[in-house]
Amino acid sequence: MQRNAGFLKRFLFARSTSVLLVLILIVIFFAVFSPEHRFVDPDNLRVLLSLGAEFSIIALGVGMLMICGEFDLSIGSILVFCSFVFLKLFELHLPLFLTAVVTVAVGGVLGLVNALITVRGGIPSFITTLGTMMFWRGFTILLSGGEQTACNVSALGTPAASYFLSFFNGQIGGILPAQFFWFALFAVVLGVLLHYHRFGNWVYATGDNRDAARAMGINTDWVKTLCFVIVGALCGFVACAQIGRLACFTSRTGDGWELKAVAASVVGGTSLRGGMGNMLGIFLGATTISVIENGLVVLRIPYFWTYVFFGLVILFSVLSSMYIERKQREMHR
Amino acid sequence: METGNDFLVRMVGIHKWFGRVYALRGVDFEVRRGETVGLIGDNGAGKSTLIKILSGYHQADQGDIYFEGQKVKIRSPRDARNLGIETVYQEQALAPNLSISRNIFMGREPVRRLGIMDKKVMDEESMKALANLGLRLRSPDLPVVTLSGGERQGVAIARALHFKAKLVILDEPTVALSVKEVEEVLEFVRQLQREKVSVVFITHNLYHAFDIAERFVVMARGLKMADVKKEDTSPQGLSELVLKSAFVAV
Repeated sequence: MQRNAGFLKRFLFARSTSVLLVLILIVIFFAVFSPEHRFVDPDNLRVLLSLGAEFSIIALGVGMLMICGEFDLSIGSILVFCSFVFLKLFELHLPLFLTAVVTVAVGGVLGLVNALITVRGGIPSFITTLGTMMFWRGFTILLSGGEQTACNVSALGTPAASYFLSFFNGQIGGILPAQFFWFALFAVVLGVLLHYHRFGNWVYATGDNRDAARAMGINTDWVKTLCFVIVGALCGFVACAQIGRLACFTSRTGDGWELKAVAASVVGGTSLRGGMGNMLGIFLGATTISVIENGLVVLRIPYFWTYVFFGLVILFSVLSSMYIERKQREMHR
Repeated sequence: METGNDFLVRMVGIHKWFGRVYALRGVDFEVRRGETVGLIGDNGAGKSTLIKILSGYHQADQGDIYFEGQKVKIRSPRDARNLGIETVYQEQALAPNLSISRNIFMGREPVRRLGIMDKKVMDEESMKALANLGLRLRSPDLPVVTLSGGERQGVAIARALHFKAKLVILDEPTVALSVKEVEEVLEFVRQLQREKVSVVFITHNLYHAFDIAERFVVMARGLKMADVKKEDTSPQGLSELVLKSAFVAV
C-alpha cells in the first residue's frame, strides 16, 4: 500500500469516523421515522442533551479507565450512594456548594476504594467492582429504606440555590443544557489529558503492556488508582446534577449504567483488553447510546426494545472496528 | 582478579528464595565497563532471576550490589533506570499499540508546560535515535505492532542508547526471530559495543552469544557453574559446559 494513503481513505478508516457515521445514521433514522419528526423537536433535543449527558459524563471516565486496562461496574452504585450523601447533607442544611464538593469527594473516595482493592489485592477490577456495585447499592437501599425522598434545591429560594441550579442544570444562552456543556468540557479536559499529557501516555502504556510500562519506571498502580478516582469523582458530580434536575433522591438511580458505559466505550472503539481507544470515540459512543435510548422513546417503541437495539449497535460497532483495525494495519505495511 | 573500579556492576553473594524454591544460591556476577557478557544456562537456571534483581523487578534476600564502586539498593525498575541500567525484555519491552516515539519516551516524556508532551521533540529524537542504530523507519507515529521482530528490538535498544544507558540487559533478544532479523539485532548490539555500553546478553542460543560476547557466565540450578573468557573456549566448549553443569550433583 502507498505511503500516504489518501486523506479520504484515512478519514474513512479512522476509528472515530465509523462511530460518527453510525451516530449520524441513527440520528437521521430517528429524525425521519419519529412521529411528526419529534426527535428533532427542540424540546426533545434539550431533554436528550441534559439527560443523556448525565450518563455520558461518567462513561468518559469509564472509557479512560478501560484504556488503562480496568473496568468499573460500580458506577451506578457510586452514583446512588453519592446522591444519598447529597440528600443527607442537604437535610443538614449545609451550604449547597460545600455539599456538592463533599459529594464529589465521596465519589472520589469510593473510586479510591475500588482502586486499592484492585491494585493492592491483585484482584481483577471486574470482580472488585462487581462486589462494590452490590455493596454500595445495597448499603444505600438499607440506609434510605429504598424510598424516594424529596430533595428540592429550588425550594430553598436562596441565591446559592439558584447559582447551584444554573451551574448544574441551567441553560447556556437559554438553549444549551448545562449538563451537555459539562459533558463536552470533561471530554475536552480528559481528551487533552489522555492524548497530549504525559499521564495519558502512562494510561495507554499501562493498558497496553503493563510490564513494559513498569520496566520503564511508570508506577502503573498509581496510574490505575487515579483513573478509578476520576470515575468516582465524575459519579459524584453527576449525582449533584441529577438531584438538581429531579429534585428528589431515588435508590434506583444509575441502575444498569455500568454495562451501558462499557457499551459506550466499546462502540467508541475502546478495546476490552486495554491500551486502545480515544476520547473522541468514547464521546461519540456515549452520545450514540444516549441517542438510541431517547430515540426509541420518541418513536414510541416499547422500552423493552431498547436493549435489543443496544445489542445490535454494539455487535455492529465491534465488528466494524475490528475490520477497520485490520485495514489500518494493512495500510501501515 | 582485578580489583577496584573497572567494574561497572558487581553482584556479590546473591541469594533468592521464592517461597520454598531456592532460586539463587549465593551468586557472584560482575560486568566491566564496556564489556559484553553472555549469560547462558538452561531454563530454570536462575539467569532471569539474577537479571530481574539487577533491573529492580525482584529484590535479593541476601547479598549486595555495587554500581560504579558504590553499594546500591535497587528497589524498583525506576531505581535501576536512574542508575543507567536498561532492560530489553523479549515480550515486555514495548507497548504494541503505542507509536514508536511514545514507546521510546515511555515514562520519560519530554514535556512543555503543565506536563503536556512535546511531540515534536519526541518524534525528532526518536528518528535520530533509530538512525543512530542504522534503523530507518517510515514514521515515528507507526504503532510498534506493525514492525518486524528485529525492528522492535531495535526500537527498544535505541531507547536504551538515547537515554545513555551504561548497562543494557538483553533478555533472549533473538528468540522467535528469523535469521536475517537475528543478524540485525546482533548488529544493534555491536553498535552498543562501539558506544562503550556494557551489555548482558541472556540467551539459549550459544552461537548467538558466542558471536558477540567477550565473556560467558554459565548458570545451573541457582549457581554460577563457570565463568570463561571467549579466547579460552568455543561454542562446543560452552555447550559441553552447559550440559555438564546441568547434571552435576549439587
